[in-house]
Amino acid sequence: MNVWKISWQNIKSKPLYTALSVFSLALSIALLLGMQQLKTSFKHQIENNLGTIDLVIGAKGSPLQLVLASVLHLDNPTGNISYKEVKKISKNPFIKTAVPISYGDNYKGFRIIGTTNAFRKLYNSELEKGRDVNASLEVVIGHIVAKELKLTIGDTFLSAHGLVEAAIETHDEKFVVVGILKPTQKVIDRLIISNLESIWHLHEDESHTEDHSEHSEENHKKHPNEKDKEITSLLVSFKNPRGFLTVPRTINEQTNMQAALPKYELDKLYEYMGLGFKTITWIAYLILIIAGLTIFISLYKMVKERAFDLALLRTYGATRFQLIKMVVYEGFTITFVAFAIGLLLVKIVLPLLLKFTGITFNGNVLKELPFQDILQIALVIFIIIIVSITIAIYPIVKMKISEILSNEK
Amino acid sequence: MLQTENITFHYKEDKHTFLFPNIVLKAQENLLILGKSGIGKTTFLHILAGLLAPASGNVIISGTDINSLSNSKLDKFRGQNIGMVFQKKYAIQSLSVFNNLKARLFFSKQPLSNPTQDTKEKTIANSKIVALLEELDLSDCKHKKLNKLSEGQLQRLSIAMSVIHNPQVILADEPTASLDDENCKIVIKLLKKQAKQNNANLIVITHDSRIKSHFQNSITL
Repeated sequence: MNVWKISWQNIKSKPLYTALSVFSLALSIALLLGMQQLKTSFKHQIENNLGTIDLVIGAKGSPLQLVLASVLHLDNPTGNISYKEVKKISKNPFIKTAVPISYGDNYKGFRIIGTTNAFRKLYNSELEKGRDVNASLEVVIGHIVAKELKLTIGDTFLSAHGLVEAAIETHDEKFVVVGILKPTQKVIDRLIISNLESIWHLHEDESHTEDHSEHSEENHKKHPNEKDKEITSLLVSFKNPRGFLTVPRTINEQTNMQAALPKYELDKLYEYMGLGFKTITWIAYLILIIAGLTIFISLYKMVKERAFDLALLRTYGATRFQLIKMVVYEGFTITFVAFAIGLLLVKIVLPLLLKFTGITFNGNVLKELPFQDILQIALVIFIIIIVSITIAIYPIVKMKISEILSNEK
Repeated sequence: MLQTENITFHYKEDKHTFLFPNIVLKAQENLLILGKSGIGKTTFLHILAGLLAPASGNVIISGTDINSLSNSKLDKFRGQNIGMVFQKKYAIQSLSVFNNLKARLFFSKQPLSNPTQDTKEKTIANSKIVALLEELDLSDCKHKKLNKLSEGQLQRLSIAMSVIHNPQVILADEPTASLDDENCKIVIKLLKKQAKQNNANLIVITHDSRIKSHFQNSITL
């Protein structure tokens, strides 16, 4: 027999009450952990897609739009820029790599981009099957494209105008799949990658597309002769951080193009979204405090209700410290079990929930919650519990055994 | 061996000062303390147990002046040398009969210095508990929780709790107040028998005059 065993018997003697305390605490811990995990996953998703891109150069307009279009491949591009001018910029000594991209077409909703073979290196993406693009009208496809459209090496398809699937207009020339990329969990998984020439070539013979809607017109090459070749944007990574100081300013001030810092723009975007996450996180903390209060009330009640028992223990020779230990053990056992259940809930239920609701837009969306975050939440809970226990044991410290025992009748 | 010298006590909010008679009990001597309610019987008993500190005077048990001990030493001293029986409060609710007695022994014993001794002590303790339960006719409810016991069984358990650790002094606060005549007799006899077996002093405080005839020494407050 020892203090711990008595604590354990106390816990066991009120199974329903204990279960309720554990359950309410576990639920709020799960909510908190789940929120944190979604936030982390979301942030990771965005930052992951940056790859090694430090700077995006494109036509003037909204920098966020430029970044969304060229980096996350979500929005429409801001316009086109001259390939000749871009080539000049690429020679800047601060620039390590400069990858041009150009687009305007899609195949069943997946964007076809014209670029160089350096593009996939931005994302550390590797070929799973086949080879890189060598000639016009050859494409390498991302993992999700291959999976969802059930395309394999040697398959051919006709592309459609625009960036969204509304394909009435299709080109006559067929693309052929020459390579499939390994999954990366990045945006490249959802892209069809060809070379710049393919895009130029497709739009060369299509003066009739001139009368297209405004934005698709922008996306297309209007003057396809060699000198005035255009691209959508240039993805730049710097040799060293000094590039950040000079290159964007030079471009914004001395050319009719704009330079946008994707990290900065996406951080801004994330901040807007973060507001929502913050609110939910606060709600989760609020619930946690309520759960902490539940634990506090149950411990305090236990100390009050068992005042006779505790006084009796003192007559048996138990010290104040031993009684405090008893309450602390009970509090921590409940918390520990609740935390374990909460963590289990997040690990099992959250992925199932996402699967059930069909939120699987990028394969494995859920990012493992970093150990540090778990630790941080555990610490917050720990502090709440310490505070609850400290207040709950106060009656023990102030306990007047004689008074309690005299009141037994 | 128990002795008190000039004990006085007053409650903080109260001007009235209690003056308690001096007591000298030799080994195996028992004492009945009678008195009306509110006369300070329980207060006196709590002073004897070291649960209340007297305003002045000393309580000496087996040569130790218990009021000179520090708080934690007094807790230990009480655990080892004093057994208490209460009118209504028998033992810990969440523990079984057997575990209650084990807990009682755990809190009364001194920290074990030798871990190998532990298992040996455990067996000794267990057989001791079994023997005592046998003696008090509680063997059948060894693993029962308190709420499954009858009034008589509870009071016998209360006696078991007060003697399992071989105390020097057994202090009983109205042990028979809620019992019928027959159970009253049984409880007093058991208490006296246990006190004798343990070579301990038994002090009973009560307003129950039924038990007067069982004691040679008695004082009235």
